[in-house]
This record gives sequence, C-alpha cells and structure tokens, in this order.
Amino acid sequence: MKLPFRKTEAIESPYSIEVKELTKCFGSFTAVDHISFQVKKGEIFGFLGANGAGKTTTIRMLCSLLMPTSGQATIAGYDLATQHKMIKRNIGYMSQKFSLYDDLTVFENMQMFGTIYNIPRKELKERIASSLEMLNLQDQAKTLVYSIPLGWKQKLAFATAILHRPKIVFLDEPTSGVDPIVRREFWDLIYAAASKGVTIFVTTHYMDEAEYCGRISIMSNGQLKLIGTPSELKERMGVDSIEQVFVKFVER
Amino acid sequence: MRVILILIKKEFLQVFRNSLLWKILLLAPLAEFLLFPYTADYEIKNVHVAFIDHDKSTLTADIQSKFSASPYFINHGDIASKQEADQMMKNDEIDFIIEFPDQFENAIVRQEQTKILITANAINTVKAGLGSEYVQTVLGNYFTDLGEQALQMSAVPLSALNTTAESSGEAQEMTASVLSHTPQAQLVTTHVYWFNEQMNYQNLIVPGLLIILVTLIGAYVTALNIVREKEIGTIEQVNVTPIKKWQFLLGKMIPFWILGMVEFGAGLVIMKLMFGITIQGSLLLLLGLTSVYLLVMLGLGFFISSMANNQLQAMFIVFFLFILFVMLSGVFTPIEGMPDWAQYINYANPMSFFMSALKTIILKGSTIENIRHQFIVLSVMAVVLNTAALLSYRDKAK
Repeated sequence: MKLPFRKTEAIESPYSIEVKELTKCFGSFTAVDHISFQVKKGEIFGFLGANGAGKTTTIRMLCSLLMPTSGQATIAGYDLATQHKMIKRNIGYMSQKFSLYDDLTVFENMQMFGTIYNIPRKELKERIASSLEMLNLQDQAKTLVYSIPLGWKQKLAFATAILHRPKIVFLDEPTSGVDPIVRREFWDLIYAAASKGVTIFVTTHYMDEAEYCGRISIMSNGQLKLIGTPSELKERMGVDSIEQVFVKFVER
Repeated sequence: MRVILILIKKEFLQVFRNSLLWKILLLAPLAEFLLFPYTADYEIKNVHVAFIDHDKSTLTADIQSKFSASPYFINHGDIASKQEADQMMKNDEIDFIIEFPDQFENAIVRQEQTKILITANAINTVKAGLGSEYVQTVLGNYFTDLGEQALQMSAVPLSALNTTAESSGEAQEMTASVLSHTPQAQLVTTHVYWFNEQMNYQNLIVPGLLIILVTLIGAYVTALNIVREKEIGTIEQVNVTPIKKWQFLLGKMIPFWILGMVEFGAGLVIMKLMFGITIQGSLLLLLGLTSVYLLVMLGLGFFISSMANNQLQAMFIVFFLFILFVMLSGVFTPIEGMPDWAQYINYANPMSFFMSALKTIILKGSTIENIRHQFIVLSVMAVVLNTAALLSYRDKAK
C-alpha cells in the first residue's frame, strides 16, 4: 500500500498553480476568503492588493508554510494537502522580509541553501558562480550579507530562491524599499527567469510593475476581485493605466 | 549527511562571528569557576566576639585568650558594661557576647553548677548557628583540656534561637550551663569523612558548576538560537526548502553538543588545575554520562523553542526550569534534607540524576555498575525529550 503523503507523481496540467476555494481564517477573522484562480506555466502572475488584503497569507499557504483552513490547491502538479515535500522541492520563495543569514557571506548563504536542495557539489559551485556574475556580485562573494545594500540583498535573495531551478518562484513584495534602478534590474532578472520557463508569482504595491506582468489579479479584504491581463483590465474599466484601475476599483 | 554537515558548518560560522556569544561561552565558565567556589563557602570565618567578664579571674582571662588565638574569631575583648555590649551588637560590630558570672572560677573549682551566657546575633542565622557551634567547641575543648570538668551544653536554646531570631531580627539569648561532675571518662567523637576527607566544600561546588555550565549551553543557547531564527525569519526560508525535520534538528543539536562537550572539558581542566580535584573514576565514563545529559538538555531547549514565539518567552521558560532544577538537584543543598514530595519531584529532574552520578564518578571513582540507574534514566529522558522536540517542531504554521 502506498501512503498518500508518499506520492511523488505530479498531475499533468497546463497550469502550474491551480487554486480552488482556498480559505484561511485566524479565529473569527477571514484573511483569505474562498479564492480560486489558475496560473499558466511560464507566466508572470501579478498579485495586487492593498496592505492587509491577504496576499502574504495566500503566498504562505501556497508555499506550504501555513495550513489552509479549507480549499484545495495544486502547485507544480502536486497536491498542497498531501504532497508538500514534493511542492517544496519545486518552488522557490522570497519572503517580504529579507531572510537570508546576515552573519554569513553571500557565498555561504547560497552554498547552504543549494546544499539543502541537494545540488551536487561541483554543479552548485558553477551555478553560484554564474548567479553572482549575473548579479554583478562576484567581488562580494566573501562579504557578510549584513553589510551589503538592500537592493543587492533583494537580488541575492532572488538568485538564491532560483538556485535549485524551481518550476515556480513566489516573490512577496520583492522590490519594496529599493530604488528605481535596482527595481528595473530586478525585473530584468524576473524576465530572464521567466524566459527559461519558470512561473513567477509576484505580489507588489507598485502599479507600474503590474504593467510588466502577463496577468494580474487584485485582491481586497481576502477576496479576489479582478483577474486578467493588464490591457483587458484597463479596457474593462475604461482607463489607461493599472493605477487608475486600482484606484477605481478601491473606490467602488 | 551533506545537508547536516553544511548546517553544522553554518552554525559554527555564526557562533564564531557572533563576537558576544562566543565571548560569553568562553568567559562565563571562567568567571564562574574563578568566583563561585570562593563565595559559596559554607565555612564562617571572622566571627566577632566580645566578653562581659564579671569574674575577672585567671580562668576567664585564659578562656578569652583561647578565642584570641582561634583563627575563626576576632576578639573584641572585655566590655565594661552590658549596655555597651548590646549597643555594639545592635551596630553589627559583634556577633557573640559571652558573659561570665561573678565567682565563675570559684564555682568551677568547687565543682558547683554555674552558667555562661552566650548571646548570638541571629540576623545572619547561618553565622549564628555555626558560630554558636564554634563557641561551644572552643569552650568545650577548654574544659576538656582542663581535665577536671566536663562541659555539657544544652542543645535546646540553640533551636529556639533560630526561630525567634528570624521573627524579631534582634539578638537572642541562650544559656549554656556548665555542669560540674566528678572527673570521669569521656566519650570523644571523631569523624572521618570518606571521599572528601577535609570536608572541602569546593569538592562539592565545583562539580555543581560543571553541571550548571553544561545545562546552560544545552538548554539556553539552543532554545534562544532557534527562537532567534524564528524572530528574524530565517527559519521560514529554511522551512520552505524540502529539508527534513530530523535534519534540521541534528543540524542544530550537533554543533551545540560539541560546544557543550568542549566547555565541559575546559571545566574539567580548570577543576584539576585550579582546585586540584582529580577525577577518581573513569574519564570516559564521565564524558559518556555528560554527553547523554547534554542530549537531554538539547532536547529540552529544542522543545521549548517550539513553544516560544520570541526570545523573551524562551528565556523565561528556561530560567524558570533552570532555577527549579538547580534548587531540587542537590547541587548546593542535600536532597536528603528535602521533604518527601520534593524528593518525588526530583524523579523528573535530569539535573539531579546527573549531579548524583557525576559527583560519585569524580569524588568516589564510581564505575558504570554504580551509576547504571542514572545512566538509564538520563538516556530515557534524552529519547523522550528529543522525540517531543521532533514532534512539536512545526515547519508549517497553523
């Protein structure tokens, strides 16, 4: 007999994320209220919403860091309820708060996480070298992370999150607090990863960033209110920018 | 295996880069060993004593000179009036007043009953209690040496002294009577203290310190380390990886186990070099016992870390348990003196089992046969606590 949580086969599907009626309650407060959506493979999916709308709670459930109250989800073809070990192997996650080890060097952080993902030693070295080159951080490999600027830290966190070549990467407000130049560079990294077929699930506050996404959704009070491509949403609301869509939507 | 190795490496890098932590790990034991054994000495020296001598005879002068000669007493000499002596005691200048009645010497020579009044300042009950014993010993020796009279002290007033003294905080009086008898053969008691012949308190205190050291590293450092990772969020970055719980557990425990053993080893070296205490039993057995005890403490620290959300909470829980363990463990006070219920609680106290086994290995040279019981209990505790730690560790929030 095969125990359900030992199952390692993935379901074939054109979607890399499928969410059905996902709900999270903290006591009497419903943080995420029966949301359903699909994200296609290789898509850049923008997850918008005001503070406290339930974005982070959703991401944490999808990353198997938080137990859902009810509902189902399939991540990279694996069932969230029963196959979380397989899900973890196939996703990368970058939390809202920078959470690599401050007292380790850039290289040590990447080496540690890469090793946990069981990337072979030699291969890992090569991947770290090419990541650092891509980030232009070669000279900082032996620098302790706490001493590098926030923008670099965010890029480093992203590079670490995709070091094990995940199928999906979840980014929770990756660009909050960084300057416009780094933000542009960060989006270049996102595009580079997406062009290799990685599905990007990204939350953001910045409406200009929403324009870069393939599709976006807007969340409010735990519910998913709107979903579509940026141009669809603009057309539907009869405005010329996502910012206006957002404002109009919030005013309603 | 590779995963655990990288986690161990990470932990050591962090410990050595955290300049404060590793200075504490290095200096704390040293400070403990340098200070504690000298402060926690149960022996009382410098007992201040004064006399009110109504007799002013050769005999009383001779007795007074005995106190001057004793290293335990500081003799303030003959005080003219009782008022003055009382005032000195109120000012905390003297601890004991010894009052000889008029015609004391004559009474002794005539072998009549006479009394010496000993007044003790019982604000410090330990000093009063031990001091009275010293006073009685000096007087007793004197009269024994005199070879004519046996001095017998009534034991009753001493216990009365302790109880009333606590409530009033004032000086209490006690009476000692010199009973005159015809010279007769005396029973002289002598003691031989096995395994600690000089009754050296350091022989008890120093092993106790070793235990405190190991406990602190095991429970405190582990619990705080993990909770700190919770606070700064790094644990979530680890939890999102496919790491297994036991890998995470071992990655935390092995480094702190090594640190704990190194500290223990350093403690043993200090014990030998500074206090000249030689381990009578097998060093290997001692290390084996300690490593099991460390596992118990690491498991406890890990378990606490999964209950606590921040370092403050973890500190309070560990501190509370630590005090409880120490008080019940027999590290500083004998377990035999505790009430039965306290001794029952001790069956759940790992420190108590470790203390009794460690003491006997170091001082008595016990072998595995002698401490099998403690070894088994500690092993069971290690298994239970680490299983609890593993089960209670959540890589997923509720």
